[in-house]
Amino acid sequence: MVQCSAQLDGAFAALSDQTRRGILERLGRGNASISDLATKFEMSLTGMKKHVSILEDAGLLTTEKVGRVRSCKLGPRRLEHESAWISAYQQMLAERFDHLEAFLERTKGK
Amino acid sequence: MTVSMGAPARARLTVPSDRELILERIFNAKRERVWRALSEPELLAQWWGRGNRLVIERFEFQRGGHWRFVEHSDHGVHGFEGRYREIVPIERIVSSFEWDGMPGHVLIQTLTLEQLADGRTKLMSSSLFHTTAERDGMLKTGMEGGSNQSYEALDRLLAKLD
Repeated sequence: MVQCSAQLDGAFAALSDQTRRGILERLGRGNASISDLATKFEMSLTGMKKHVSILEDAGLLTTEKVGRVRSCKLGPRRLEHESAWISAYQQMLAERFDHLEAFLERTKGK
Repeated sequence: MTVSMGAPARARLTVPSDRELILERIFNAKRERVWRALSEPELLAQWWGRGNRLVIERFEFQRGGHWRFVEHSDHGVHGFEGRYREIVPIERIVSSFEWDGMPGHVLIQTLTLEQLADGRTKLMSSSLFHTTAERDGMLKTGMEGGSNQSYEALDRLLAKLD
């Protein structure tokens, strides 16, 4: 039996956001600076720093200062890591059920 | 184990083993309506994308049939696909599930619909993940024999061609 709360929660919260999942996907193809990521996701530098720090806290991403640029790469707990993938999947499934519920509500009696 | 994820009481997440995840949800609709939302592409497209535009590229809703759904959001495109393993009308859909972002990590999802006495429907999703341990176990127990058999068959075929 999995100690679900301990093992999954950090990554779960980090991966609950679509932008953060996108950042990890992007980093899976190579390292990027925070400003690269901000441009790619059409976001302010401050906003992107916030996402990066949440991912960093969850161990999904690490940053390194190279000269004046902060470079991001996938962390020790990669998305490939099964528990992170399972939690991302579980989040998607829960979102689908939410949308199915809303759909059933709005098509009631039709 | 039941884990509270801050979800309403109508939803329940259980982790019966280290590679299975069960999510249950009770919907305020009769089973036939829930089944239609799962099995008719024009209805499925209205919710499966989680608010993103969904393009149903393939929907071969039969045993062995291929499905491929692609979500288009502001932040990119997410493709999901698999094959249907078993379809029992209004009761059960079993399919493989793979996300483009995790190629090769295939899981098996079983959706079970249960009509409740009060007219609502319980939808249970069981997801079975592959693990390294399972893969290693399969290599030990069957695959070697399987490949040997395949090679023997190939040998026989090649012998005929000679």
